[in-house]
Amino acid sequence: MPTFVYMTACDGCGYCVDICPSDIMHIDTTYRRALNIEPNFCWECYSCVKACPQHAIDVRGYADFAPLGHSVRVLREEKKGTISWKIRFRDGREKDFVSPIRTTPWGSIKSPADYEAPAKDAYRAQELAHEPEALHVESLPSLSPDRFKRSAA
Amino acid sequence: MFSENPFAALSADVSPAVMQAYVVAMIVLVAAGTLFDIWHKKSGRYFFRNWRTARAAGRKPIGGGKMVSLAIQTIVVDWLASGEFCSARRRIAHLLGMYGFLAYAIATAAMVFFYPTPDVPTPAIWPLLWHIGALLICIGGYWFWFFIRVDVSAEGNSPWRIARADLFVLSLVISATLALFWSWAQSAGSEWTVLCFSLYLIATTVLFAGVPWSKFSHMFYKPAAAFQKRVAVANGSRANLPLPADKPETFGSARTAPRHY
Amino acid sequence: MGLFSRHRTVFTDCDILVVGGGMAGCGATYESRYWGRDLKIVCVEKANIERSGAVAQGLYAINCYMGMQWNENRPEDHVRYARNDLMGLVREDLGYDIARHVDSTVHKFEEWGLPIMRDPATGRYQREGKWQIMIHGESYKPIVAEAARKAATKVYNRIMVTHLLMDAAKPNRVAGAVGFNVRTGDFHVFRAKAVIVSAGGASHIFKPRAVGEGMGRTWYAPWSSASAYALPILAGAKMMQMENRIVLTRFKDGYGPVGAYFLHLKTYTQNAYGEDYEQRWFDKLRETIGEYVDRHPVPTCLRNHAFLEEVKAGRGPIRMVTKEAFQDPHKETVGWENFLGMTVGQAVVWASQNIDPKHTNPELTTSEPYVMGSHATCSGAWASGPSDYAPAEYQWGYNRMMTVEGLFGAGDTIGGTAHKFSSGSFTEGRIAGKAAVNYVNDLRDQPQISEAEYEGLKKTVYQPLETYAVGRNEIVAGTVSPSYILPIHGLQRLEKIMDEYVGGISTGYTTNEPMLARGLELLGMLREDLAHVGAEDLHQLQRTWELQHRVLASEAVTRHTLYRTETRWPGYYYRADHPKLDDANWHCFTLSRFDRNTGEWTLEKAPVYHIVD
Repeated sequence: MPTFVYMTACDGCGYCVDICPSDIMHIDTTYRRALNIEPNFCWECYSCVKACPQHAIDVRGYADFAPLGHSVRVLREEKKGTISWKIRFRDGREKDFVSPIRTTPWGSIKSPADYEAPAKDAYRAQELAHEPEALHVESLPSLSPDRFKRSAA
Repeated sequence: MFSENPFAALSADVSPAVMQAYVVAMIVLVAAGTLFDIWHKKSGRYFFRNWRTARAAGRKPIGGGKMVSLAIQTIVVDWLASGEFCSARRRIAHLLGMYGFLAYAIATAAMVFFYPTPDVPTPAIWPLLWHIGALLICIGGYWFWFFIRVDVSAEGNSPWRIARADLFVLSLVISATLALFWSWAQSAGSEWTVLCFSLYLIATTVLFAGVPWSKFSHMFYKPAAAFQKRVAVANGSRANLPLPADKPETFGSARTAPRHY
Repeated sequence: MGLFSRHRTVFTDCDILVVGGGMAGCGATYESRYWGRDLKIVCVEKANIERSGAVAQGLYAINCYMGMQWNENRPEDHVRYARNDLMGLVREDLGYDIARHVDSTVHKFEEWGLPIMRDPATGRYQREGKWQIMIHGESYKPIVAEAARKAATKVYNRIMVTHLLMDAAKPNRVAGAVGFNVRTGDFHVFRAKAVIVSAGGASHIFKPRAVGEGMGRTWYAPWSSASAYALPILAGAKMMQMENRIVLTRFKDGYGPVGAYFLHLKTYTQNAYGEDYEQRWFDKLRETIGEYVDRHPVPTCLRNHAFLEEVKAGRGPIRMVTKEAFQDPHKETVGWENFLGMTVGQAVVWASQNIDPKHTNPELTTSEPYVMGSHATCSGAWASGPSDYAPAEYQWGYNRMMTVEGLFGAGDTIGGTAHKFSSGSFTEGRIAGKAAVNYVNDLRDQPQISEAEYEGLKKTVYQPLETYAVGRNEIVAGTVSPSYILPIHGLQRLEKIMDEYVGGISTGYTTNEPMLARGLELLGMLREDLAHVGAEDLHQLQRTWELQHRVLASEAVTRHTLYRTETRWPGYYYRADHPKLDDANWHCFTLSRFDRNTGEWTLEKAPVYHIVD
């Protein structure tokens, strides 16, 4: 199901161009609006659909196997931390879903540089950052070398 | 320069009747070009088909009063305030260009039809509006051309690349630039006046004659589409989009300008 | 790109260069900063780190979580699980290493804001299965990308790394990388003391089932263009198990995930006549794989095998029985949200065909083969293991360093580490990041890049633009030229060669020595034709280099497949001329090394070490 852009809704802002992991959302040279230049490299990841502030991008299932008349549309509301979906079947049945997408404010992740610098002897130890505390167990598991046996072949 | 009516000075070489005929011709070209575009691309038929589909998909009927209210909202918010733009600088650039063009166009019509010769003194407001309008077009237009144009800012193309989509904005901004050059040259008595005026005339003619091939007609299509969108929200069809979630906005936003390269 | 400009060269110096900003790359960037407070850490990504990589649309489950805090699993349990699933052949030292750290990764994800579902009865993470926990992961990648952006000195988006740079002074040591900016056209030269390759594995090397628009609906992201393999291969790093491609049984056409269905919804499969079919084929497998058939849980490839045999016997299509489970509204919601948070395309397929699993049992299919390193498969680079316990033969200094000095890997790049998935890939990135910091701190001399090398590469990188521009003059218009091919032409030829000769869907995943030999011949001609790919613009130039990486990786896949004269993973592929599993000769890894100066490949065996149970 590759993406397509609604003519009257796109105002040429470029968010889709900026986000597409496949580099296939580009700007049409006649209308200066977005367009999917390579539907056969479209994964239908919906990154552009979610990013478009005008909801100007939609998806029509891959013509190889998806009959017409369906609709799967999305509203990703970053500020509310939610994503909402509306699925419309070819025969008109509808299903709606809402899920959370984040539990903390955007931009709130603490930089690793803001943690206390590790002690010198921690560099050669096996523990990674925030360990063993972040493992929620006493200590990092390990093995002794004699636990390994070489296979014959 | 800013207080001089350039058309009054021009009337020495070009009769007011010709100037007025030209302005009328440009208006006709816009109307004819737009109508031709709609007919040729069958976009009118598409618009009404879409209108009917959205109405059929509506969950609640909309009364006449509500329709009027939606129309007013469209005019005030989407048109007059260019409210559809999601980014502040795009909106500001558009407002500059739009109001600049309105001021410039209205002042042109006023001066050409009511004060085309030096006999009747031109109230200062008209040349002022004309020059300021052209200036605003240039500010908004060049800012857009070099920095905001999505194929340049998000796609990384050279600002010197010209495509068909640029026909409208380029001819508009060149026309406004040449208007200012012409006005300056004329009021300074420069030998470049005729050249400036000729180029200005060409750019302006391209701007208006290019309507069937350019984005000029967006000034009609966009408000129509904006109105249609408001109706779709009001009647519940919302173009198959889900309803906004019933949750408070407590997470902030991660959105930054779409220029990550 | 400038209309009249030459391609500008931009130099960037850094301590650690992370190539690829997916899950593994974000982990590497984060951890490198923690240990290297004053180091210059640069992450370079072909697309936009916000949504790049295989987790672009999100995930509905984290498939690698021990739950040590609740005594749910121990790391050695995971090793046994992965070993079992891969028919005995995994790097158990690397796998244990990931399993022992992965819980801290997942706990940090939750702290950062990833919504992880909880079991209302116990308060623990909601398990989907023994190793899997359920998440609302639509924004999994943006959350992880935020952590990486906070850590990096700089993240470069839209720069495709095409080649690694080698140290001009010291042989077999990496010195950086080069690439081009897909937006501006600039040539970028990165000088680095350590390079961590965390790029994408290989999709689109075998012909996919859908070949029109549907080509885009691959199971593994279409932008995984095998850079994870091509970059190390060209640098002379040893690669392992490149023959171990994966075939997936998924929902038809959309390739939507079945994990939540099997594990959480407790659905099961039936043939077209409503019969269970697996056991009869498992019984028959004893003839070829012996006692491996008694292992539990049934290895992924063997379940594929039963599926394939049943379909060959004419009793397809195989369906997933969902009607019962979907009567439960909670399970119905899980079934749909499973797609929406991970593979929206499957929801689209069902909506388009009016398939409601409450009323219809949807069809399954087996996919075309993929090569990657983080799923029920583990192709990739041969890497050094953890110093506290890895066998001496498996370590040569720094954890996750390849056989090229200073070159590290994580995620799909690294071989032998099956079943690590997203959390394990991020974890492996962390492991590589810490090791790279130690490597940089220990380094006494700065690697030197060679101007001749990067200037030569610059010419090579942009050559396809020149090829197109010049060659275009020969024809009136269109896509057919006698002197150049477009990237899509090369891709389709590659996919057809691999499909027909190296065990794709058209041969029932079967190959033999004569087929493989012919495949190598055709790949050889394709490789020569790569010098004549014409790229019309920067986007097509990216497609060109993706093709280049895919072709090189495909050659590795073909040579490994030829080398291993047994059928170790029926259901992934079959050597018709060596149909049995042969532990006596092949209970080992296959390693390859490509010498870019001579163009020669050398293949050898490496021992497997098992954790004593």
